[in-house]
Amino acid sequence: MKAGIKIVLSVALLSSLSFGGEQFAMSDSDRAMYAEMLENNPADLMVANGEELLAEKCGGDAGLAAFLNVSEDELPVYLAGFPRYLPEFKQVVAIDQVLQGLMYKNGHKPFKLKSSDMFDMSAYAKSLANGEKSQIDIDANPQMKEAYVLGEKTFNQKRGGRGLSCMSCHSPDIIGSVLRTQPLPDLSNKGVAVAATWPAYRMTKSSLRTLQRRFQGCMKNALLKVIPIGSPEMVALEVYLTKRAEGTEIAIPGLKR
Amino acid sequence: MKKTFMMSLLVSASLFAADYSGVIEKPNASKMIEKDLLAPAKTFTMPAGCITTDADAIARGSFIFHNLNGKKAKGKLPKGLAKKQMKAGKTYLPGDKIPAKQYGNCVACHNIEGARGAGNIGPDLTGYKAMFMATGVRDNQFVFQKIADPRIDNKDTHMTVNLTTKLFTPREICDITSYIVSEK
Ligand code: HEC
Ligand code: HEC
Repeated sequence: MKAGIKIVLSVALLSSLSFGGEQFAMSDSDRAMYAEMLENNPADLMVANGEELLAEKCGGDAGLAAFLNVSEDELPVYLAGFPRYLPEFKQVVAIDQVLQGLMYKNGHKPFKLKSSDMFDMSAYAKSLANGEKSQIDIDANPQMKEAYVLGEKTFNQKRGGRGLSCMSCHSPDIIGSVLRTQPLPDLSNKGVAVAATWPAYRMTKSSLRTLQRRFQGCMKNALLKVIPIGSPEMVALEVYLTKRAEGTEIAIPGLKR
Repeated sequence: MKKTFMMSLLVSASLFAADYSGVIEKPNASKMIEKDLLAPAKTFTMPAGCITTDADAIARGSFIFHNLNGKKAKGKLPKGLAKKQMKAGKTYLPGDKIPAKQYGNCVACHNIEGARGAGNIGPDLTGYKAMFMATGVRDNQFVFQKIADPRIDNKDTHMTVNLTTKLFTPREICDITSYIVSEK
């Protein structure tokens, strides 16, 4: 099952990266390395570390399911629908924040949202939904509606030293254009899998990163003030892009340039 | 209505009214964003003597065009351009951290003579003088305004805003404009 997903992913990604020529950031040797990593994603190790951490700090899959009030059978589908509004958190939360709550409940000091242990553990938790369809109910309650609206607003907000918004580079009309050797990925069209493929291994950073951490990378590069992981705007951006990924298969860890 | 009320009662009952809202990280970003927002579009007029054939000015314009910032930039720095961004009126002591100066990184979106790894989000600016200036399609003021604040003639532009954001000084916008309209 898992192998099947990876193959679909690899074909899509490789074809989007298989332009020749020095104009692009991926050289032939980069591409060869990429193909190799698809067979053997280095992040598998980090996800395995996440599995151990979840067992140790959160009572494993069963502990997570109990905390979320679902059976272990229902857990994958339920996890495929995050971020969610949870009344006991009084807000829309991403999976990493849920894990902070659960660590606290079990008497552990919660990992920082930006720590690599948290990246590993939330990657493992989301990977439990591998093979499920990404789904998010933005009409579930007023809080989800609000988060979606905030996410869209944050995506479109021009700011920073260069007056750019996420939309400046991720608008549907410039998908596939080249920004200094990098083809611009499609984040916005229906059925785009981006949010379903994070957390992912970033080859250029040699580490596992979450979706919100990826947002920070774009903010830093484009001179937008980098906002903290877990802020309502960050969770809202995740809601917004997860809505874009609706119906695509979750495949964690992804593999990115 | 009644149903959702019942549901939420059930949910909270099963959790023994647990409250985790105080134990998770939920930093506030709205103030950071508010301070960072882009000001409305602004019209600028070229200062006197803006466009020049001075080789140093054009070299500065070219350097700003082709580089991202002072940390990443390679090659010889043209006269009158810094790699670090000192704040006016601030005194610096030895060992103080001075941030890298930001450049235009125009090449990320535009091709032009001698560009390496140029992007294609914006139009190709190669041969700009012959194609756009000599033919009268564009003039210096248009190019200056485009770089200073491109929203004036295109409110939906994907281009960067360079003067309204105070990323550059009017003099630097003049240097960049002089480079674009120059014979290359
Ligand atoms: C100046 C251009 C620019 C801006 C502004 C920008 N991005 Fe990006 N973004 C890129 C490029 C280029 C890539 C692909 C980089 C690569 O290949 O490594 C990318 C990649 C991404 C990805 C990963 C896509 C994937 O394939 O998984 C996400 C998610 C993303 N951006 C979100 C955002 C968000 C959210 C914002 C606003 C806060 C934003 N970006 C602003 C240029 C930009
Ligand atoms: C993120 C992408 C991007 C960046 C970075 C960028 N531009 Fe542009 N530029 C565009 C786009 C898109 C257009 C066309 C739409 C428009 O005119 O607003 C454009 C148009 C222009 C034009 C007008 C061409 C004409 O005659 O119609 C000039 C001149 C120009 N850019 C110069 C620059 C300079 C100088 C810089 C750097 C300081 C720069 N650009 C940075 C995207 C960009």
